[in-house]
Amino acid sequence: MQKIQERCVNRDAVPVKIGALFLCILVLAITLKGIAQAPTVRFIDADGKIIAEIPAHHQGEQVYLPIDAVKQVIDPRATHQYNHPRKRLTLKTKGRQIRLQMGKSAISIEPDGQTLTLATPPITIAQQPMLPVNFFIQLLPMLNNVEVIYNSNLNRLQIRPKRTWTPAETNNTQNWAIIVDPGHGGPDHGGASSTGRLEKNIVLTLAKQLQERIKQQGIQVHLTRETDTQKTHFERIQIAKQNQGQLFLSLHCNASFSPHEKGIRIYLNNPKGRIRFPNTTKPALIGQQLKVLAQVNFLKQSQDFAQALQTELNFLTETPIQIIDIPLIALSETYMPAVVLELGYLSNFEDLEKLSNAEYTASVVEAITRALQRYISFINQQTSPTAPEE
Amino acid sequence: MKHNNSAGFSRLLVIWGITLVVVAICLGGTLLLIERSKLTAIPVAPPPLPTAANPSDTPPPPQEVNLFLLDATTLTLVPIKIERRLHTNDLTKRLNQVVTALIQETPPNFRNTIPRGTELHEVYIDNQQTAYLDFSSHLTDGHIGGTTAEFLTVTAILKTIFDAFPDHIKQVQILIDGEEIKTIAGHLNLSQPLRLTQ
Ligand SMILES: [Zn+2]
Repeated sequence: MQKIQERCVNRDAVPVKIGALFLCILVLAITLKGIAQAPTVRFIDADGKIIAEIPAHHQGEQVYLPIDAVKQVIDPRATHQYNHPRKRLTLKTKGRQIRLQMGKSAISIEPDGQTLTLATPPITIAQQPMLPVNFFIQLLPMLNNVEVIYNSNLNRLQIRPKRTWTPAETNNTQNWAIIVDPGHGGPDHGGASSTGRLEKNIVLTLAKQLQERIKQQGIQVHLTRETDTQKTHFERIQIAKQNQGQLFLSLHCNASFSPHEKGIRIYLNNPKGRIRFPNTTKPALIGQQLKVLAQVNFLKQSQDFAQALQTELNFLTETPIQIIDIPLIALSETYMPAVVLELGYLSNFEDLEKLSNAEYTASVVEAITRALQRYISFINQQTSPTAPEE
Repeated sequence: MKHNNSAGFSRLLVIWGITLVVVAICLGGTLLLIERSKLTAIPVAPPPLPTAANPSDTPPPPQEVNLFLLDATTLTLVPIKIERRLHTNDLTKRLNQVVTALIQETPPNFRNTIPRGTELHEVYIDNQQTAYLDFSSHLTDGHIGGTTAEFLTVTAILKTIFDAFPDHIKQVQILIDGEEIKTIAGHLNLSQPLRLTQ
C-alpha cells in the first residue's frame, strides 16, 4: 500500500519537476533577454571614439539618464543638489546654475537669466531625478560650444566641435560644383526589393534631398538625372564635365544573394582593386588603358572623400562601413574624384525598412553633407599654403 | 493533501503538453544542427560521363573540383568540393565542364551567385592565357543587381577557374551572346579581362 502511494507521488513528481525546470528556463530566458536589452546611451566623439557609455532608463518612447551623466559628458567638475520633497534639481557647471523641476519642461540658467524649454521634462525614477536625453542634446551645444547629433535607433549621441567656416573657406565652397548621380533610371530599374521598391526611385528621391541640402551650404550641385529617365554612362559623364564638376557621387542601392547581408558600402573605382585589370591589355584597348591610368590620378582624392563619407556615415550604422576598391563602370572615365555610395541592401529587410524611413534618409543626407564639408575643408587646407605669401 | 482527480489529470496534461513542446523544439533544433553540419559533405549525383567523340574511350577517373559558392551564413565565397570526370587532354573542354558545374551546383544553405537559368554557350582560351566565357544573356537579364551581388558573381567565376587551372589561365573575360560587355548589372567594369588580387 505504501509502495503504491510512493509510486503515485513519484509519478506525480516527475512532470512537476519537468514543469519546474521549464519554468526555470523560461525565467532565465526572460532575464537574459532583459539583460541583453539593458539600454545604454553611448556618447562618442567626432571620430567615433566612445566618450562614455551610460546605463539609461526607457520610459515609453523616452530615454532618461542619471545625474552622473552630466559629470561624464558635460563637465567632470559639475556638482548638483537635489531637493527631494520639492523635486528640484540644481546643477552647477561652468560657472552657471541650472535649475530644473521634475516633471516640468522649463529650466532656468543663471546668471544668464536664460530660460530654456526641454522637449521632454526630467522625471523621477525610483525617487531619483533623471534627465531626458534631450537635456544633453539641448544643453551641450550651449555649455560646451559643440554640435550634438543623436541617433535614436542606436541610442548614440555624437559630440563634435562646432564647425565654423572661415570666410576663405566659404568663398572656396562657393566655387565647388558637386555632381550627384542617381544610378539607373527609366527601363533600367537597378535592384528591386521583394516588396517592389526600385533602386532607381530610392536613389533619385535621396539625390534630390541631398541637392537641396548641399545647396543650402552654398555649394553648387548638379544631378545627372532629375527624372525617371535612362541615361547612359557616357551621358552622365558629359553632364559632369559640362558643369565642371569637381566631385562625382554616384548613389546606388545594393543587393546580395544572401538576405543577411546589410549596411552601407563605399566603392572606389580602382582598376587594381580586389578584382583587377591585367597590366598589359590587347593592343585595341591601349587607348582605353591610358584613360584608366589617367583616372588613377584621382584615386587619392577619391579615397579622401570615401574616408570622409565613412567617418560621417559610420555614425548611422552598428558595424563600420567598408571602402572597397574594384573597377567600376559607373565611374570609369570620370576624370574627377568619384565614389559610388551604396545606401543599403534591398535584399535585406532591415535596410529596406531604414530606406523607407524618412527620418533615416534625412540623417543619411545630413551625414553626406557633413562628409562633403569635411572633404572640402580638407582639400582647401591642402591646397592653400600654410603661410600666406600676401 | 487530497487532489481532485480530474483537476490533477488536467494539470498533468498541461505539464506534459508543455514538456512535449519543449522536447519537440529541442529535437527540431538538434535535427537542424545535424542537417547543417552535413553541409560540408554534399551528396553528389554520380559524375556524368563526358560526351566522348569516341564511345569506346574509357571514361576518365573522377577528379575533385572546387566550386566557389556563397555561404549564406558567413556571407563569404567558400570552396565546395565536387567530383567530375574531367576531360584529361582537352583544356577547353575541361574549362567548359568546370564552369558548367559552377552554374548547376547549388547545395542547400549555399547560394549560387550565377542567376539560375544562365547557360554557358562556349569557352575558349587564347595564347595570352585569357579564358573567354560566353554566357547567355540571362546572366545580365536575370541578375538581381547591386554592386555586392555583381562582385560576388564575378569573383565566384574567377576563383573557381583560377583554383581549377592555376597554370593555364591567368585572366578571364566574360562575354554575353558572343559580345564583349561593359558590365553585368551596371556597376562592375567587365570591359577588360579580369584577374584577382592576392
Ligand atoms: Zn545600382
